[in-house]
Amino acid sequence: MSRDITLGQYYPVESFAHKLDPRVKLLLVIVYIVGVFLVDSLYAYIVVGAFLITSIIVSRIPFKSVLKSVKGIIFIVIFTAILNLLFHKEGEVLWSFWIIVITKEGVLFSIKMALRLLLLVLGTTLLTYTTTPMSLTDGMESLLSPLKLVKFPVHDVSIIMSIALRFIPILMEEVDKIMMAQKARGASFDNGNLFKRAKALLPVLIPLFVSAFRRADELALALDARCYNATPNRTRYKKLTLSWRDLVATIAFAVYIVLIVAVNNNFWGLY
Amino acid sequence: MDTIITIKDVSFNYVTGEQISRGVKNVNLEIERGSFVVLLGHNGSGKSTLAKLLNGFLTPTEGEIIVDGINTADESKIFDLRSRVGMVFQNPDNQMVASIIEDDLAFGPENLGVEREEIGRRINWALDIVNMSEHRHRTPTKLSGGQKQRIAIAAVLAMLPNILILDESTAMLDPKGRSEVLETAHKLNKEENMTVILITHYMDEAIDADRIVVMNDGEVILDGAPSEVYQQTDVIRRAGLELPVAARVSEKLIERGYPIKFCLTDKELAEELCQLK
Ligand SMILES: Nc1ncnc2c1ncn2[C@@H]1O[C@H](COP(=O)(O)OP(=O)(O)O)[C@@H](O)[C@H]1O
Ligand SMILES: [Mg+2]
Repeated sequence: MSRDITLGQYYPVESFAHKLDPRVKLLLVIVYIVGVFLVDSLYAYIVVGAFLITSIIVSRIPFKSVLKSVKGIIFIVIFTAILNLLFHKEGEVLWSFWIIVITKEGVLFSIKMALRLLLLVLGTTLLTYTTTPMSLTDGMESLLSPLKLVKFPVHDVSIIMSIALRFIPILMEEVDKIMMAQKARGASFDNGNLFKRAKALLPVLIPLFVSAFRRADELALALDARCYNATPNRTRYKKLTLSWRDLVATIAFAVYIVLIVAVNNNFWGLY
Repeated sequence: MDTIITIKDVSFNYVTGEQISRGVKNVNLEIERGSFVVLLGHNGSGKSTLAKLLNGFLTPTEGEIIVDGINTADESKIFDLRSRVGMVFQNPDNQMVASIIEDDLAFGPENLGVEREEIGRRINWALDIVNMSEHRHRTPTKLSGGQKQRIAIAAVLAMLPNILILDESTAMLDPKGRSEVLETAHKLNKEENMTVILITHYMDEAIDADRIVVMNDGEVILDGAPSEVYQQTDVIRRAGLELPVAARVSEKLIERGYPIKFCLTDKELAEELCQLK
């Protein structure tokens, strides 16, 4: 393993976007997603695209790496586009054959949906590229903290997330070891049909679960030994602080929102 | 003697449904503040049970335990007790809750509601003692077993305990990792006057202790300074433990009539052997 998988997709460079407060980034991405779904005019998508490209540049992440994230979903995008094309039957008919009817509105609609999916994935990818899972967890805990008022266990949830992050690489390593051990006993994991392969994984999963439970046992002791739940007034060592960057980013974002709303509703009579 | 732990007529039984199994039986011990005690015993001899009794994970079925002035059966002081009795376990990977080392160290003091600046100071201090300061902002994934275990010790130190219990914390490590952890424990004992209870089944880790307590079948069968305890070779063998190599060699030589002393370390043995003509 060459990459540290605790970092997930994180792309470790120093940039404006990397240094933003995770809370701000999370909120902005949520607004961005809502924006992508509300925007309806193709012209407005040009603005969204331009904004996304600017953001990628500001993040100092190579376009190639960002585009890689699209590779995984390109099939879904094409599939939904085709479905949309086939099922959208109202409007001006462009072409019809047997039961297949393709309309102008259908074409426009499926292009928009495809664009939405792509922009959605690209935007969230940018978030995970510029923010470590750890700081995302911190950001989420902080954003969710008002829910404490309705007795939602925000802190427990954030500990669960943090432990999950901590144990992913450990369990991955364990899977490697168990697979190796089973291979040494003559097991094969990459032969046969899907069913056979799934069955071959059983002798990997069972020891993995056994070990995971054993780990959980010791972990529970370790949590208690370190006074987990000792006081409701738990303190936080890591303090998230806003800086001028967060202000700049928010202003840029506000400008962007105004722009897409204006273009989307054709305030300026551009088209 | 300034006693930090008093264990009086303590027995503990595990009850699972109908079945009752013995954890420890009739244990009486007084441990001096600032001492380095090694608790020896083979698997299932009751060492972990005794450790868990000390920080209130378990409460005695019979008898009572006073740790640093706190009765371990006192529910209302349980967290106070646990912050004073730091416990490190066997597998370092199963004790870390965060993916960044300083966050992991902060976990204990955060739970206790310690102020932010103070947590920062404690992290500095703890990482410095275990010699891991340069790893503060890194992830533990690529560390060696010994390094991870030192982080686990530091994480416990951040709660400022008076007693450190290492429950087989060397068992999974390679020789280098073992000696790193042992060194750290001895350093804490000497420099910070920490009372250390080191649990192990490796006899050679007990040589530098102030006191050795040997358990078998839930009972304390030997208790004393290393030089006294190691002499009891028969009892030790019956307890299912293996003497250090130097002890075994010197014992055999003495049996054969060679005029040497009973030795515990390789160095001692070498010196004795060099005097033979
Ligand atoms: N959770 C448990 N439930 C029932 N019996 C237990 C439990 N933990 C330990 N024991 C029993 O208590 C005895 C002492 O175990 P333990 O204190 O873990 O020994 P050691 O740490 O020296 O290996 C053993 O016989 C063991 O089977
Ligand atoms: Mg044990």
